[in-house]
Amino acid sequence: MFDKYKLNGIFDEMFSADLTPRPHYEPVYGQLAGLDQADFERRRRMADLSFRNQGITFTVYSDESGVERIFPFDLVPRIVPAAEWQTIEKGLEQRIIALNMFCHDVYHEQRILREGLVPPELIYSAQMFRREMIHVSVPNDVYIHVCGTDLIRDKDGNYLVLEDNARTPSGVSYVLENRTIMKRVFPGLFESYRVRSIEDYPYNLLQCLKELAQYHSDDPTIVILTPGIFNSAYFEHSFLARQMGVELVEGKDLIVDNNFVYMRTTAGMRRVDVIYRRIDDDFLDPLCFRSDSILGVPGMMNAYRCGNVALANAVGTGVCDDKAVYPYVPEMIKFYLSEEPILNNVHTYKCTDKDDLKYVLEHMSELVVKSTNGSGGYGMLMGFEASPDEIADFARKIKSDPRNFIAQHVVQLSQHPSLIDSHFEGRRIDLRPYILYGKKPVVMAGGLTRVALEKNSLVVNSSQGGGSKDTWVVEDVR
Amino acid sequence: MGCGGRALSKEFQRLGDTNTQRLSALGASSQSKAERIVQSVLVQQNTAGRPMLSRVAEAMYWMSRYVERAEHIARIVLINSNMLIDLGELAPEMQEKQWIGVLRILRLDQRPEVQEFLLADKVAKESRCLLGNSFASFMAVESSKSIIHCVTKARENARSIRENISAEMWETLNTLYWNLTGDDVRYRFEEYPQEMFLSVTMGSMLFQGVADQTLPHAQSWQFTQLAKYLERADMICRIVDTNFDILQSADGSYSAMDTPLRNIQWMGMLRSCCSIEAYQRKHLGDLDPQKLAGFLLLDAESPRNVRYSVNAARTAIAGIAASVHPQQVDQAERILGRLNAQLEYAELKHISGPALTGFLREIQDHLADASIAIENAYFLH
Repeated sequence: MFDKYKLNGIFDEMFSADLTPRPHYEPVYGQLAGLDQADFERRRRMADLSFRNQGITFTVYSDESGVERIFPFDLVPRIVPAAEWQTIEKGLEQRIIALNMFCHDVYHEQRILREGLVPPELIYSAQMFRREMIHVSVPNDVYIHVCGTDLIRDKDGNYLVLEDNARTPSGVSYVLENRTIMKRVFPGLFESYRVRSIEDYPYNLLQCLKELAQYHSDDPTIVILTPGIFNSAYFEHSFLARQMGVELVEGKDLIVDNNFVYMRTTAGMRRVDVIYRRIDDDFLDPLCFRSDSILGVPGMMNAYRCGNVALANAVGTGVCDDKAVYPYVPEMIKFYLSEEPILNNVHTYKCTDKDDLKYVLEHMSELVVKSTNGSGGYGMLMGFEASPDEIADFARKIKSDPRNFIAQHVVQLSQHPSLIDSHFEGRRIDLRPYILYGKKPVVMAGGLTRVALEKNSLVVNSSQGGGSKDTWVVEDVR
Repeated sequence: MGCGGRALSKEFQRLGDTNTQRLSALGASSQSKAERIVQSVLVQQNTAGRPMLSRVAEAMYWMSRYVERAEHIARIVLINSNMLIDLGELAPEMQEKQWIGVLRILRLDQRPEVQEFLLADKVAKESRCLLGNSFASFMAVESSKSIIHCVTKARENARSIRENISAEMWETLNTLYWNLTGDDVRYRFEEYPQEMFLSVTMGSMLFQGVADQTLPHAQSWQFTQLAKYLERADMICRIVDTNFDILQSADGSYSAMDTPLRNIQWMGMLRSCCSIEAYQRKHLGDLDPQKLAGFLLLDAESPRNVRYSVNAARTAIAGIAASVHPQQVDQAERILGRLNAQLEYAELKHISGPALTGFLREIQDHLADASIAIENAYFLH
């Protein structure tokens, strides 16, 4: 089934340049190559049925009926050797510590702005900068309790950070479910490996949330706040609530009285100490942010500022997600930690910088231009496949509002074998590891590997035809 | 600050279908909401068990109720389709009456879409081709109270509280739901009615068994029990009511009908209540109207009769009330307790002849009152 496999001139996770499998992939390659197609197909159907019956689905908004879909699951696991993982882990820890210090700084002393490393106007013009948070203390000075950082590999196999998701990153439930299903349909593949367990993620998350409770009582009331059953990530919210044994609440279940948050129970009102909220700042409190929000809880922000309820993540972390702030993260690491960044950024042209802007406008057809507040693959221009009209149009937009755009060279994401029809073909992948930050950072061993199932596509988002793989961090292969 | 939240909560849409209960709208307690909130803020600190969100309790309740309802609809339609085979030979004129009886049990006879169906003379025609296939599939797929509608509602409720039910419960219900979807579902109901209807009744029973064995028997489980038994008691009342009515109106008195025909009818009623075997064993096949009514309404042991269900519902609500506010007397508990006593100490003369209709009506009114009281006390915080 590997007969027609092509390397396509980019970095391949499984094969080295001469089409021999890399050492850590040898056992998996051996087993997959020996399978016949019908067997593989049977296992795939088994996996799909498991996903469907367990209701592991996401909702597609574009469909009028809001149809539930299975997140396509690719049975070929992605393998990361432990030594390689160690570097990634260190790099991610370093990054989340720096980002967190940055959050604390911009909402307090603003040293980094005063010393001129990050232009103040950039921060004050950021859509997700929250003035309401200035001089508000958060428990343990931690802002980003859960972070999902997107990593990609360039053509030489170097890991690069593509973006940070410091607000409410989703997808972790798929990581856990993928592993469960993988064990069910392909137990044989695990035999030659020691794969690091990821089962403790919900436990770690719960510990992290417990530490936020005001008096560190033994039995704080912790809840997950979801926008509701129609949200595309609803499955995950419910999954995490189940795994941690905490209550899943909607905005309408909560009420603020005298700056304390309560939930409505059959026995009356019950005080809530910690909220793991899966709704954006914008919708959290109609009295403070968007007044048309019916997802939030009026008065929540006051209760939060009084310290009567803890939120994870803190309000205002979106400032780290701003793509115009992203190019400054390596500077932050040097500034706050006096260390060199372990994981590098993709080189980024800031349109607010005069020289960079000039370069961007001259080289539009080679670059990827991204809106600084877009996500999910929306609001971007792939210069190399755009028409001259589209380019001219985008150039106008950039010139009129340079703050809103950054540009990067196209990164040729690494590829990984996926079963397409009857044989294996290379498809582009990325990796989103999840980092928890309680007393200290904990990085989940692995993460969500997303795969662009369309041939030659570079977009891995589930909303645009992406699937996912199980991701293994393995000790040295026996 | 708090007022805003409360105002918002009013617009929340309940997934439940409370129409039937609103018919006899009796407020549970006149105690104002504000009063209740103040009290419960005081109480909450010493509640031992884990509190339960009102929204979750409500979804739990409706999930369970809809599953039970789907089971009854499936059984009633299946049993009646089968009966038509026998009736077709003995009394063709009974067939139409039979279907209208089914519609009455399901409170569908006054619905516009059903009226249309009837006017189009479909029932009469279809029912004459023995199984009334298309009618059965109508009951399963299309009507606003169809089996698929109930299962979908049950799943929607379950989906909104997945973290509160066991994974096994969810998977059972979800599997049942997926069995009833697809473009060919109507075809399957027409071609293999037996199999499809059985899969629903068995699916419901499996779900209830799984719930009993995986959910801690605490508040949330008690809400499922409460809902299940309220639904069951109500359904049995309707079945008994309608069947006695058909037989009575046939010729003024039960005995005037041919014995075989009468027996088919009585056995159909027992089967619709899932009680035929239990009855046969107890009364050795003596199909006497008084014994039948006594068995389906007043028997203490069979879990498929009204008294047993009311008693089980009363136990459930007593458990909930005790864990929520031990000091107060719960309105729904009061209603169900009284009803239970009434059934326990009823005499056969209360349920024989013309008295039966009134007796059944009274039970149903009490059941509706209890549902409203539950809603006011637990869901509308």
